Amino acid sequence: MNKEMQELTAWTIKTAKSAGANDCKVGINSQRDVEISYREQKPETIKEATTKQLMIQIFVDGRYSSQTTSDLRKDALKDFIGNAVKMTKLLAEDPFRTLPDPKYYEGRKEMDLGSVDPTYKKFTPEERHNIVKTIESTILEKGGDKVVTTTASSQDGHSESVTMTSNGFLGYTEDTFFVAGAEMTVQDEGDRRPNGYEYCVALNRKDMPSPVKIGESCVKRTLSLLGAKKIKTETLPIIIENRGVGRVFGGFLQAMTGRSIQQKQSFLADKKGKKVGSEHFTIVDDPFVKTGLGSRLFDNDGFAAKKRVMIDKGVLKDFYVDWYYSRKLEWEPTTGGPSNLIVPPGKRSVEEIMKELGRGVLITGFIGGNSNPTTGDASVGIIGQLFEGGKPVQAISEMNISDNHLKLWNKLVEVANDPYPYSSLRFPSMVFEDIVVSGL
Amino acid sequence: MKKITRRSFLKTTAKAAAVTIAAPVVLPEGWYGFASPAKTGYFESEFGITDSLCHKVLAQALARGGDYADLFFEHTISNYIMLEDGKVNRAYSDVALGVGIRTVKGDQVGYGFTQEMTEESMLNAAGIAATIANANATKPSSEFRWIVTKSYYPTDYNLVTAPLESKLPLVQSANEKCFSLSPLVSKVNATFHDQQKRILVVTSDGAKAEDLQPRNYIGVSVVAEKDGKREQSGWNFGGRRGFADYTQAAVDTVAKKAVAGAIVLFDAVQPPAGEMPVVLGSGITGVLLHEAIGHGMEADFNRKKQSTFATMIGKKVAEPFVTIVDDGTVPNLTGSINFDDEATPSQKTVLVEKGILKGYLHDKISAKYYKVKPTGNGRRQSYQHYVIPRMRNTYMEAGPATPEDVIKTAKNGIYVEDVSNGEVKIGEGDFAFYVSAGRMIENGKLTKPIKDINIMGNGPKMLANITMMGNDFAFFTGGGGACGKDGQAAPCSFGQPSCLVKSLTVGGRR
Repeated sequence: MNKEMQELTAWTIKTAKSAGANDCKVGINSQRDVEISYREQKPETIKEATTKQLMIQIFVDGRYSSQTTSDLRKDALKDFIGNAVKMTKLLAEDPFRTLPDPKYYEGRKEMDLGSVDPTYKKFTPEERHNIVKTIESTILEKGGDKVVTTTASSQDGHSESVTMTSNGFLGYTEDTFFVAGAEMTVQDEGDRRPNGYEYCVALNRKDMPSPVKIGESCVKRTLSLLGAKKIKTETLPIIIENRGVGRVFGGFLQAMTGRSIQQKQSFLADKKGKKVGSEHFTIVDDPFVKTGLGSRLFDNDGFAAKKRVMIDKGVLKDFYVDWYYSRKLEWEPTTGGPSNLIVPPGKRSVEEIMKELGRGVLITGFIGGNSNPTTGDASVGIIGQLFEGGKPVQAISEMNISDNHLKLWNKLVEVANDPYPYSSLRFPSMVFEDIVVSGL
Repeated sequence: MKKITRRSFLKTTAKAAAVTIAAPVVLPEGWYGFASPAKTGYFESEFGITDSLCHKVLAQALARGGDYADLFFEHTISNYIMLEDGKVNRAYSDVALGVGIRTVKGDQVGYGFTQEMTEESMLNAAGIAATIANANATKPSSEFRWIVTKSYYPTDYNLVTAPLESKLPLVQSANEKCFSLSPLVSKVNATFHDQQKRILVVTSDGAKAEDLQPRNYIGVSVVAEKDGKREQSGWNFGGRRGFADYTQAAVDTVAKKAVAGAIVLFDAVQPPAGEMPVVLGSGITGVLLHEAIGHGMEADFNRKKQSTFATMIGKKVAEPFVTIVDDGTVPNLTGSINFDDEATPSQKTVLVEKGILKGYLHDKISAKYYKVKPTGNGRRQSYQHYVIPRMRNTYMEAGPATPEDVIKTAKNGIYVEDVSNGEVKIGEGDFAFYVSAGRMIENGKLTKPIKDINIMGNGPKMLANITMMGNDFAFFTGGGGACGKDGQAAPCSFGQPSCLVKSLTVGGRR
């Protein structure tokens, strides 16, 4: 625990209560970030800074407000808090807005989530430069004369946060993170210059792929975009690559929150315990994954984290209901949002599945699109490959898929064996049948 | 944490939209909306930022031989009040204070920032920025001259410091209006946001500029229920405005648009999938222009040869009735600025003139590369970010046709009324935008409503395929719009008249 941050947190609570707050929650975050990018074999950008922010939620006379500031001088904070309390008193009473019942703070697991890389402090500027230089040189070497330009970059950071409430919650988190990757532009026919990228993120350096692998992956992904064109509109099986599944699932997830349900903006509001997808649709929320990007011991309300099955073989088992909306809905709270989402992997690789399907579309990226949480209607542009005989035969562009989530997830016929490691959404590639792929 | 490399247009409300303007904005010569620019000296009086201190920090930033350096001081106060279930029962506010220090060497950038306005912290951040260069020290200008510009928004802005009580009726009346308009309305969320951003830019070549940039909007989101079905829609209004613009009539218009937008969707159908003519209605559909054309015109993408427009300067890219500009001088619009974040005065920049590609949007780095003057497009999200070329208010000028004739000429296709977001791939020029409301066009007439479909196209192809331009130009006057690029959000706006695109891919389901 960072003592200085803890003391400032406690001082802020005391100051707020002296100013008239009945209750409050205070969080202080400190983060150091370093970013480097290279283009044309020299540094393009170097950026480094430390940021601090204080957040305070104020509960006074049944009223509520939330404030953040980066001005942590005590004199300035005192004025800031005093004004915040005064302002809060002007709002309407809201009987549902209170600090959580402390019973939900209890039962917090004591375990090391592996979120701090013990070698972080030894990470030198030279090592950072070498990582980026290696990614760039790999791209230039493997991409050959197709390369128009490439920018390789690295970002890393260390953050600490302390959260405290006036009704007994105290939480501390410390994380490190590492990001490395590149974007790359290649020359296609005419004025087309396909742009591809590869970025990986991990909390520990040892979980990152090598710079050479990142560079090679960037080249492979970008070159696969060459010669892309629109094909005719057709109903086909599609495979959504592991890293892209989360973007489609995001529209479903939005409708799983207590707020969406209470505000009548959820197509899932009456679906708990009901079938919302095929038997292959299983999602587990697991906050205890070692080095997981979404791992945590407590959530935003301070609730002790729990592993939960959210969707089991197509049946919706649970919602994300935070303390406030649980009171409005008169439901038992769960947790306000996802930690790590795990889909149990299947047995076959994407290549094996493509071989069996014969003809279809492998979706490797998306463009635009959105999802309506109230109705479940969704539509998104796609980038990828038409495959025939199990092999990619044509890159595709300017194409689109549309469906309603309640129909789409019932068309899920298989999940592959390749959960994506560089995200809190550890989804494998997924196979859907009978999807209208719009083009010509 | 991950660097965002895609360009995307984001909106801060659940489903924000704009109040359209019925006629083109034509300003009398010499009218700039507001009489005087922002008062200067705020950062000196509040934080002790003197010329001698700036000189010292800039010297540190150039200690290793940078070509240029600048300091960007920021003090921003943002407030939100929100109504849910009939009560203004929550408020959020944020204070951002800091200084960003940039050193430029050729096209290389070193950047450091600090939240502490102390000499020691600033010199430390300047030392980080300086590491981009590795040569003998260069010297900043010893004197700084104020850059004085015309003002395109209220600079005596006091909305942020106005009593909360004065703002509560805005969202309360929006809520009441929505429920009064239809018994089908079952939920209303209303938000009022106001922000006061004070900035001071000091450059090593001797310029300093100080501004107070207001930003505010009222947004309403409505859920309606009918025969067991629910539909949702929203609308907003705002920009860089004074409180006087938030009249009862303006609030009522937002409520009416939101309610009507939700109710019409009960009759919506899915359009067929595939290529077809698309008519873009006036106003908010300018998001397509922003995505399909605007980003490709940002000079950094061209300097790095990433953009599909990189080799098209001077070439015919559209029919002669197509003229596209990016203009930071439109009074009160969200993307307007008095000067950019490098102290370059704002201007109207022509991108495509009568079908010919004329130029790009520049910051100082790209302007030097192309040997042209900066266009005032060097912008950043905050002191935590370095400058990159960004759009301001991007629009296509009006043409001769009536909107009715544009629709009639399309004959069969899609009419786009409201969009929620879009995205572009710069190198390919491929773009997408999400249609939240529109109509089928059948036999030259608007028929059944449509909703929730994505439309795909290619920027250069779409430009060449604009076959008809309406005379009903309108700006997007919502205040919640922001553009995302390289992990930075920047407020912007856009506009256009109705226009016919011969063919785009519509992502229907049948």
